[in-house]
Amino acid sequence: MQDIKRVIEENNGKIVVEHDYFLLVEVSREHVRKLARALFEAGAYYSTGVGSDERPKNGFFAMYHILNHEESKKYIVLKVETPEHDLRIPSITPEIEGANWAEREAHDVLGIVFEGHPEPERLILPDDWPEGVYPLRKDFKYNEKVKPVRKEEKFVEREDALVLPLGPFHPTLHEPEYFEIYVDGETIVGARYKGFFVHRGLEKLAEGRLTIHQIPFVAERICGICGYTHMICYCQAVENAIGLEVPERAEYIRTLLLEIERIHSHILWFGVVYHLLGFDTGFMHAWRIREKVMDSAEILTGNRKTYGMSLVGGVRRDIDEDKKEKTLKALREVSQEMKNLFDDVLAMKEILNRIEDVGILPKDRARSIGVVGPVARGSGINTDVRKDHPYAAYKYLDFKVPVYNGCDVLSRYLVRADEIFESIYLIEQVLDQMPGGDIMVERFEVPEFSVGVGATEAPRGEDVHFVITHRGSKVYRWRPRAPTYNNLPSVPVMLEGEHLADAPAIIGSIDPCFSCTDHVTIVDDSTGKILFRGSLEDAIRRLKR
Amino acid sequence: MGRLRMLIDSLSHPRVTEKYPYEPIPIPEDFRGKPEIDPEKCIGCAACARVCPPNAITFRDDHEQGYRVLQVFLGRCIFCGRCQDSCPVGAIKLTKEFELVSLSKDDLYQVVKLELAKCVRCGKYTVPYRYIKYLMEKGPKILKYELLLCPECKSEVTTLIKYHYAQEVHE
Amino acid sequence: MVDVLKKSIWVFHLNSGSCNGCDIEVLDVFTPRPDFERFGVKLVPSPRHADAIALTGPITRAMVPKVVEAIKALPEPKIVLAIGACACGGGIWHDTYVVVGGIDEFYKILKEEYGMDPPTTIYIPGCPAKPEALIYAAGILADIIKQKQRRREDVIREEDEEKRKIETIIREEIGSRHFLPKIIVKRGPREGSV
Repeated sequence: MQDIKRVIEENNGKIVVEHDYFLLVEVSREHVRKLARALFEAGAYYSTGVGSDERPKNGFFAMYHILNHEESKKYIVLKVETPEHDLRIPSITPEIEGANWAEREAHDVLGIVFEGHPEPERLILPDDWPEGVYPLRKDFKYNEKVKPVRKEEKFVEREDALVLPLGPFHPTLHEPEYFEIYVDGETIVGARYKGFFVHRGLEKLAEGRLTIHQIPFVAERICGICGYTHMICYCQAVENAIGLEVPERAEYIRTLLLEIERIHSHILWFGVVYHLLGFDTGFMHAWRIREKVMDSAEILTGNRKTYGMSLVGGVRRDIDEDKKEKTLKALREVSQEMKNLFDDVLAMKEILNRIEDVGILPKDRARSIGVVGPVARGSGINTDVRKDHPYAAYKYLDFKVPVYNGCDVLSRYLVRADEIFESIYLIEQVLDQMPGGDIMVERFEVPEFSVGVGATEAPRGEDVHFVITHRGSKVYRWRPRAPTYNNLPSVPVMLEGEHLADAPAIIGSIDPCFSCTDHVTIVDDSTGKILFRGSLEDAIRRLKR
Repeated sequence: MGRLRMLIDSLSHPRVTEKYPYEPIPIPEDFRGKPEIDPEKCIGCAACARVCPPNAITFRDDHEQGYRVLQVFLGRCIFCGRCQDSCPVGAIKLTKEFELVSLSKDDLYQVVKLELAKCVRCGKYTVPYRYIKYLMEKGPKILKYELLLCPECKSEVTTLIKYHYAQEVHE
Repeated sequence: MVDVLKKSIWVFHLNSGSCNGCDIEVLDVFTPRPDFERFGVKLVPSPRHADAIALTGPITRAMVPKVVEAIKALPEPKIVLAIGACACGGGIWHDTYVVVGGIDEFYKILKEEYGMDPPTTIYIPGCPAKPEALIYAAGILADIIKQKQRRREDVIREEDEEKRKIETIIREEIGSRHFLPKIIVKRGPREGSV
């Protein structure tokens, strides 16, 4: 803790806010690159970056770089300001590779120029978006409709390989996304991803129409599978910003529902992977068992999927003895049945052969790409937000983080399998130890321009939300970052040199969630945007050499 | 081996498929289903419309006919239940109804029209009678006099009162 | 409903920018417990093989041309199942800058820009729609069940006596304000001085 503070102060950073969860550090433009480098060397890795238009406050634009320092259990938020007439900030991408997308995104939506950025191209705005229109500036209205410009889509031909388009609608994909896979015979030599069909203009909507108590419901609808964790993450970010203590009972109820969500998400994933492997019996069995989890969620919250249970300050509904008993009974059955299913499936050679030593992601590559969640834990990296940055009731509970060193699809499979049982164990503890008392803090003041960071361990990995509050119960800037954003770049590494028939299972093994990822970007037009054009193919070529 | 075990597992299960729609399915007590306004209880304060995240509940004042029109569009509703939390008289409730399928968009609306009272000073329509009745019972006593004034008259009267006090002090 | 649908309905699933909640429920309805295939309903990989499109999501602008293509490919009579709050009415993001805002707004674009008549639409509200709600929709299509949800409109008028009572009380209240009459007195010289 002292070390990291010393590093910050030695490099001309000024600690403005010191919170249990994060440090807000102001740094001048000249020193940001050096400080970022020093922090990276001290063990912090890049989490996300947020650009913000703060002209109404002081006439400046600001860039926040959020770094995760696991050792001191803190997020470090570097704030760099630049005046309106001189929109230039030195890029930190040459020092930390992970800042690449965040800086390009900030350039797209706010027009901040990052000096020395290695690829200063557009990332998320489509090519036909007019120059000089920046949708996240405060003078752009959230419901302004920009005239769509229709463009013919180009199909990229390659001479050395066969191009195999997959999507945007394809029987194996239940979300609109587009993959172009380049094959040489049976072997994959490259891949290209094009997404942002699901972009819904959510950040701007939150700033525009909604109040602080309405945003949790938008956050929940970022994703239809792991929505509740986004809701909690947002609530925690605001609570950290305004310094609000949540009642202990509310923390336990949040933990209970987060774990229920993790179980249902993981069982869903097993079903999908069995289906992708052509093993539909397993799919049917997994989803049959999943219905029990969905039922207990319905009993606890009133809806199968969108729990709608949390607001800033606590939870909305209490849980009584009857509900507790029903949940425990259902989960015991789930535990027993999943155990049987896993035993049966792993006794099948034909399934095991399809996932063992397939889709290798070596540990060092995993660290440098910065993958999170079960993908990281399947490559031998011990990382879990629940342990590294304890939130909700996890600080009072006992649980293990499963880590496997196989680096293949099987390891990721086993990590998720163990997590299901670990989650059931956590829920038993929660229901046993839940204290009495209030579940909600009703009255609180929302200060103006207060900064908060929240993080949760979503079923897919680390989920980070960044919030700046505003007067009148509004939010000035809200930026969610979903785990798939970090995990997607690892797919080409895994696909490299594998058989085409394994591609669905490999892509599935990171548990991609495109609605989570796409919302993060700001604007889409008629064509969507090619994400990996340069970087992904280059990466594969580098690997081949 | 695994296949055999899986077969045995499958055979040992009773039938899981439910009989719906020929038999009803069990719905839990706290299920969040179709929100319904009880028109007899509703006071037309529009608190629900203000908290509704997707704007499924909207209200407008029809100044020609003299009604406040509250409208619930189930097609847009996300069943969060914030309206139920915010209603001061418990007029809007989430029911256990989920069979909302409909062949026309029109069937998805619930409309409640409440008669508006007239301003005693200028005769324009202001707020519903129900709301005034509610405020007479529950609202602050000191402000009772302005209940039947439209917003313009209210601000005018308030300035007059302030002016009056200022004059008095001056004299 | 439509005679064609008395038999098995084949459905093409089209995600137009949904959060996944409804998509998972569309998948879920084919699993053992709800078992949609009891009614002969089947997911097919192409709109050309389908009787109906199961549309989820608020239709983002990037998706408009794709949804139009799918509806064009659907054989007559064209049927669209609008699943969830987003497809029925745009949901929570009905008015943002990149969202069309539900199936009805989309039909306006379809009419204006592509000159196509809107297909028959079945609205299935819910966030997400329960699997049983989807079965219910199939029941309506196959004429097993009658539609339950109807438009409801109530007009509340107050009794004249009640109105008079309220007015009297408030007029009394205004009268009891000691400063109100004084204001009228004050007004005279002020107007005269102008």
